[in-house]
Amino acid sequence: MLLQQLVNGLTLGAVYTLIALSFSLVMGILGVLNLAIAELFMLGAYFGFTAILAQLPLPVALVAAMLGSALVAIVIQKIAYEPLRDAPIVTPMLSTLGFSIILQNVATNVWGSDPLQLTDEVLPGRLTLGSVSISTMQLLVMGATVALVAILAFVVQKTPAGRALRAVAENRDVARLLGVSAARVTLLAFVLSGVMAGAAGVLIGMHYAVITPYMGVDIGLKAIAVMVIGGTTRIWGALVAGPLIGIAEVMTVAYGGSQVRDFVVYGLMILILLLRPQGILGGSRSEQGQRV
Amino acid sequence: MLEARNLHVHYGSIAAVRGVDIVINAGEIVALIGANGAGKTTIARAIAGLLPYRGEISFEGRLLKPNSAEHNLRAGIALVPEGRGILAGMTVEENLLMGLYSRRDKAAGKADLAEMQERFPILGQRRDRMASLLSGGEQQMLAIARALLSKPKLLLLDEPSLGLAPKLTDSIFDLIADMRAKGLTIMLVEQKARQTLRAADRAYLLETGRIVRSGPAQDLAADKIVDETFLGGSVGR
Ligand SMILES: Nc1ncnc2c1ncn2[C@@H]1O[C@H](COP(=O)(O)OP(=O)(O)O)[C@@H](O)[C@H]1O
Ligand SMILES: [Mg+2]
Repeated sequence: MLLQQLVNGLTLGAVYTLIALSFSLVMGILGVLNLAIAELFMLGAYFGFTAILAQLPLPVALVAAMLGSALVAIVIQKIAYEPLRDAPIVTPMLSTLGFSIILQNVATNVWGSDPLQLTDEVLPGRLTLGSVSISTMQLLVMGATVALVAILAFVVQKTPAGRALRAVAENRDVARLLGVSAARVTLLAFVLSGVMAGAAGVLIGMHYAVITPYMGVDIGLKAIAVMVIGGTTRIWGALVAGPLIGIAEVMTVAYGGSQVRDFVVYGLMILILLLRPQGILGGSRSEQGQRV
Repeated sequence: MLEARNLHVHYGSIAAVRGVDIVINAGEIVALIGANGAGKTTIARAIAGLLPYRGEISFEGRLLKPNSAEHNLRAGIALVPEGRGILAGMTVEENLLMGLYSRRDKAAGKADLAEMQERFPILGQRRDRMASLLSGGEQQMLAIARALLSKPKLLLLDEPSLGLAPKLTDSIFDLIADMRAKGLTIMLVEQKARQTLRAADRAYLLETGRIVRSGPAQDLAADKIVDETFLGGSVGR
């Protein structure tokens, strides 16, 4: 029972991790909370479902979700962020909130406000190990998350573009002095963020086999909490906080009932804000340089 | 090589630089000296392309656009900023790799990086160390090495000896002489006026955003007014 809950928690935690990474990429590099990421997640699910319902193979659905959300992320960057780059920090946040609601409306108009369901199971089959039963879908969710995080880590830590990204995050002027175009790096951050959110959307959508235009709201807020718990100044904090919150949430529901489900996540967020505002993994204030 | 004409820089309503003319000829070390707040850093940042300004700056006969650092670097102007500008969240080697970021000749860049690690052995030995863990002098070496890796024609150094012990300051001045001997043109921003005037060919003395004296460095060092108002003060040596 406990082990089973752990597996279920890790599945949920994997998705939280992806969306929290999506938030913290933009937050860590630009200092801006892009609220429309919740809708990139939702749209990723719709792009993926559209591909699946068109009988396209599963990898195509995954790629459609990631690329589709990345494209929408570029639109958000161009319209809701770039023109407001020099405005007070709350301004682009509000414009992404506006964008968020518009995107929900667009989704409602394109796909309807009723839940969209998958009739056939995309990935049938279960793996049973003693008392623990893992669906193939759960394995895909966790496997895809590990793969995406590994790719992201490689890009950010080992490539020139990733180094440029970290340079801008740490010191914009120094990055410019080294020839980095802040505009290009900003775009890269939005694209990577879109890919992560889109993947999370299609994965959770397939896992539950049902999606709605409003699915981003609840999970988006939760991912923000996960990011805060992991630490907003370091993108990798989500790697710890995501699985932690996923497991905590599933355990709470299993042993405390679903009516207390959100107490844990948001309670923990407030506790972290009060006691350790830099997050679980965040460094001390003097290390502010080490952001990403 | 570089010519700034009637340069004006404002921070909001504060006029930090008010009608400055500066010429830097190829192969020279030009010093920009002046008290704290005179506008030295502002001029260096404007030339590097970090700030909007009024007036004209041309480099190798071409007019530069204000606030376009990325372009200026590719044209051949590198700035080692005040406070060194080390990327503390990166390793020593990653900082050096950032110096290669703007270059297209990646293979030659790799070779230059290896050469730089030989020229500054400490940067080779500590390549995997976080840059924030280096000492002040080592960080200054790293900042200069990183700037050199972009293969600049003109190197702007903003108070490279700030906060360093006298011995380390001497080694920075040795390095400056060495870089010039290798053909680099240098603009040196400093408060340590005596040592700077000894190292430089020509100098500009800045006071509250205006140039009040300029000429061969020896002349400025001997200038009575410069000596009284500046070199004689606590900022000298
Ligand atoms: N970012 C800034 N915002 C407002 N004023 C500034 C800023 N940077 C410098 N100044 C002002 O501009 C003037 C020149 O500063 P600076 O160029 O740093 O001088 P220096 O390098 O010679 O010490 C000073 O009066 C300083 O207070
Ligand atoms: Mg200064």
